[in-house]
Amino acid sequence: MIELRQLTKRYGEVAVVDGLSFDVRPGAVTGFLGPNGAGKTSTMRMILGLDRPTSGSATIGGRRYADLPMPLREVGALLDAHAVHPRRTAFDHLLSLAYGNGIGRRRVEEVLGLVGLADVAGRRPGGFSLGMKQRLGIAVALLGDPPVVLLDEPVNGLDPEGIRWIRTLTRSLAAQGRTVLLSSHLMSEMALTADHLVVIGRGRLIADTGLEAFVRSAARQAVLVRTPDAPRLASLLREAGAVVRPGAGGGLTVTGLSGAEIGGLAGAHGIVLHELTPWRASLEEAYLELTGDSVEFASSPAGAVS
Amino acid sequence: MTAYGVLRSEWVKFRSIRAMLGCLAGAVVAAGSYGYLFGMAAARDYLAAPAADRAAFDPTETAFRALVLVGVLISAAGALTVTSEYASGTMPVSVTAVPRRGLLLAGKGAVVALATLLTGPPLALLSLTLSQAALAARGVPSVGPGDPGVPGALLGAGLFTGLIGLYGMALGFLLRRSAGAVSLGTFLLVLPGMAGLFPEAVARWIVTWWPSAAGARLFAVHPGTEGLAPLAGAGVLAATVLGLLCAAAALFHRRDA
Repeated sequence: MIELRQLTKRYGEVAVVDGLSFDVRPGAVTGFLGPNGAGKTSTMRMILGLDRPTSGSATIGGRRYADLPMPLREVGALLDAHAVHPRRTAFDHLLSLAYGNGIGRRRVEEVLGLVGLADVAGRRPGGFSLGMKQRLGIAVALLGDPPVVLLDEPVNGLDPEGIRWIRTLTRSLAAQGRTVLLSSHLMSEMALTADHLVVIGRGRLIADTGLEAFVRSAARQAVLVRTPDAPRLASLLREAGAVVRPGAGGGLTVTGLSGAEIGGLAGAHGIVLHELTPWRASLEEAYLELTGDSVEFASSPAGAVS
Repeated sequence: MTAYGVLRSEWVKFRSIRAMLGCLAGAVVAAGSYGYLFGMAAARDYLAAPAADRAAFDPTETAFRALVLVGVLISAAGALTVTSEYASGTMPVSVTAVPRRGLLLAGKGAVVALATLLTGPPLALLSLTLSQAALAARGVPSVGPGDPGVPGALLGAGLFTGLIGLYGMALGFLLRRSAGAVSLGTFLLVLPGMAGLFPEAVARWIVTWWPSAAGARLFAVHPGTEGLAPLAGAGVLAATVLGLLCAAAALFHRRDA
């Protein structure tokens, strides 16, 4: 269990992480989401004792990371897959970290097998592909067989095979009862991996909820209506209290009324309908809607449809 | 985290930095070639000198002069143990494995000190052998490794390189960049060689008290009465290195990794 309480990191006037409080529970994959620059990496670095919080605290099982006697046996982390010495063999890279935490050579061989790098254990990671480096980073995280695992953007730049591997791995780690915190800026990936979501923007908490609840709360129910008499139906719907916007392909996107109510209204006024489709925002849309105000560098909509 | 575990961990890192081999090879070449060249130069001076000066000739003076240049490479090796971690981005990984940063620094320091301490005497012996061979080849008086005072100087050379290794490591922690730590380390080490550029009072102070010059007293076979006693010189260098290590530890502890 990871607990954050009013965690804050400031660089001068700028708050990168701003009063963040949430818990990460065991036995589930908690997705840590936010646009680039939202403060995900800074938060993880503070949990790992790499950066000093300006105020607030981050604890693992009630203790600060720096107070853990054998940290790699309690928390495993992957922050940056490129963080390997290009000339130090994969085996030595792991061994140097293992020794400091009372872990032996046998476990090093074991994790190399676990991530599928046993054949390249004696090779230098300078020539590794990103996917191989990512696997080596995961091997570091799993070295101490830790009950808590933190992975920062583990699927970034991976091919579909690598992405699926990470997804299966994180799911199985959670199934074993471990606490898994997985950061990403890709909602679509989270939809397939996470049980629980923590969404942050500009260093602040936006949502801390189950995956299902997140979609329900964020997504607006809407109905797509297509009719040859759009202007008349639109004014009738507005009179009935609905919000009507031009939808895809000349249709109308209606919120505030159910499909049945819209159909009934059209029937009562003799308006022909060609389509009446209840529509639910996808996870991606729900996420973009939530974080829309907090992206650091928003692009202006190009060729906005009116 | 146990001290022994951290020590083993740092040793694995140390032996897998390839630049260490380069530094060691460079140190061997510097000790041998400069030892020989200093010997040749001393032989020329001896043969050109009047008889009265010849009587005062001390062949051990040229024996270890190369060690200050060897120190440049030893200091670079010490710096690289730290800056290679910053350059490759592995420092955060190291700090997550050993979050007690004082322990991490101490482990690294122990490995650097031990490795550089042990390389000092063989390098000093190489420099001694080639410099004395250059003297003997021209019929100039020379000494051997067993002559009075020489074994002590060989051990002193080990202490010197050990301290210089730690000096480089401390600069590595302070500056975090290879180029900065190596070039500043070199400049400060060889400054006494440029003492002649300064006004005489300053120059005298530099050749006596500047830490690298004071530390060089450790391998003076016949210290004489001028300058610091060997142990006092060692004390000046050791105190400087300790000060740098304390600054390095304080900064390493305070900064985000």
